[in-house]
Amino acid sequence: MNKELKSFFLWRHLNKMRWLVLSLVFMMLVFLPFAHVYQTYVASFSYDLLNPSEKQLYDFMEMITSPFINDPALDLDAIKGNTWSGNFFGYKISDPLAVVGQIAAGLTIYWPFFLTAIIPIVLTIIFGRFFCGWICPATFLYELNTILSLSLQRIGIKAGKKRFDRRLKYAVLAIGLAISAFTGAVLVSMIYPPAIIGREIYFATALGGFGAGLLFFILTILFDLLVSRRGFCRYVCPGGALYSMLGRFRLFRIKRIVENCNDCAKCNAVCEFGLDPLRDKFGQECNNCTACIAVCPTDALTFNIKIVDEENQGPGHLGKAYLKNDNK
Amino acid sequence: MRRRHFIKDLIAGAVASSVLNSAAVEAAFSPQTGQRYLRPPGSLPEKEFEERCIRCGQCGEACPNRCIEYFDLENGVNSLNTPYITPRSKACILCMKCGQVCPTGAIKPLQRTAEDIIGFVKMGKARVEKSLCLSYQGKTCGVCYRACPLQDVAIKVQLLEQPVVLDACVGCGLCERSCIQLPQAIKIVPDHIRAVG
Repeated sequence: MNKELKSFFLWRHLNKMRWLVLSLVFMMLVFLPFAHVYQTYVASFSYDLLNPSEKQLYDFMEMITSPFINDPALDLDAIKGNTWSGNFFGYKISDPLAVVGQIAAGLTIYWPFFLTAIIPIVLTIIFGRFFCGWICPATFLYELNTILSLSLQRIGIKAGKKRFDRRLKYAVLAIGLAISAFTGAVLVSMIYPPAIIGREIYFATALGGFGAGLLFFILTILFDLLVSRRGFCRYVCPGGALYSMLGRFRLFRIKRIVENCNDCAKCNAVCEFGLDPLRDKFGQECNNCTACIAVCPTDALTFNIKIVDEENQGPGHLGKAYLKNDNK
Repeated sequence: MRRRHFIKDLIAGAVASSVLNSAAVEAAFSPQTGQRYLRPPGSLPEKEFEERCIRCGQCGEACPNRCIEYFDLENGVNSLNTPYITPRSKACILCMKCGQVCPTGAIKPLQRTAEDIIGFVKMGKARVEKSLCLSYQGKTCGVCYRACPLQDVAIKVQLLEQPVVLDACVGCGLCERSCIQLPQAIKIVPDHIRAVG
């Protein structure tokens, strides 16, 4: 086997890295509201007035934050927000969908806000729909949901396997923006799971109860579980649609090395977005999650720097179909 | 084929828009001003605020007083998840952190100075109900005056500590929060309600 054709050995381990990033982002989303509640206790000098459970929270937060900061009431302001829009040491970073939704609602462009989405847009143009696979807090829960549905299948409960038209989500994006424009409110934020999760965790922690968004999120989880595997991200999510369009000509793509491929189709089975790596059909929807690279038994998938996918390269050279043709 | 689909979609969108603009839908989407609430300090006027706000929830997360709450569906779909303040339960302390953290400028970024606050913060205006106010009933009280962060600028007291609200009142609600009468004798009339009627 030619050494150049080998996939770089680290790509196989990117999937573990991705799970680490996903769980860190999710832990951050849970930590920040608690940090805020702690800040309010500090700001009001009310330790003696807190009830025991609040005192516990205060002590715990003091324990984990005191090595890093001097004045919690001020210094914990450095990181605020969620993946929908956040404040990171003074730099504001927003989701491109927030910017697009706001432009649709107001029918004007507010440039200071537009600039906060520049970093995500540039990263999306380079890495494609990476947000969906690497950062989105809903992805974390949806992938756990997929694992749950697989284990349910093992004990005999069948999961939904319906497939719809993938272009449905572009229609959802268009209709969502149109309704935003007609009503004059950013309504896309109400059907976009990462925004919902960031908000709802904050509501539950600091304001004492979940809001209406949680119901919507539970419905999407049930949709994924009962109707279509990862169906919301595949067919409905408006943010996914926007990221897909932005990442259409992404630089970093996954490519199949046809000489190493043995047509085992594990990549197709593991792909959360129902794509077809086996026939080189990644398209704009691939989120570079690298699950297919991790599962490939012959290291036949690797990263490639190119703005278009490879043409269909035919059956893998280690596969049965290719060898049969060879013998003829 | 595709272009034809696109044109079809366009027509469908136009039909949907005319349906959406009808009065019944308008009533469901637009706020019904039944509840007396304040927007965070430095907010744009109600309509523009709904257009600008992306519902990220950072204003509440920055508020050291935790006075910013969020609407569910009770005020119409348009103000779902938008921030509001109920001054009687918890009033704004005019720290101006929510404006600094707001990414969209729905809450204007203001400094915590008297000029900025008096000049640009328009949450509402306090109104004294004289029949309920203790001072106007002959018992000196003056709690609202002492709670006000802009004493003698936004509120002044006459003989017997009778409060008089001045034009510079920004409507933070600390007077309403502190009023010892039940129901409160001083109330903030929010700007968006005053504008409507």
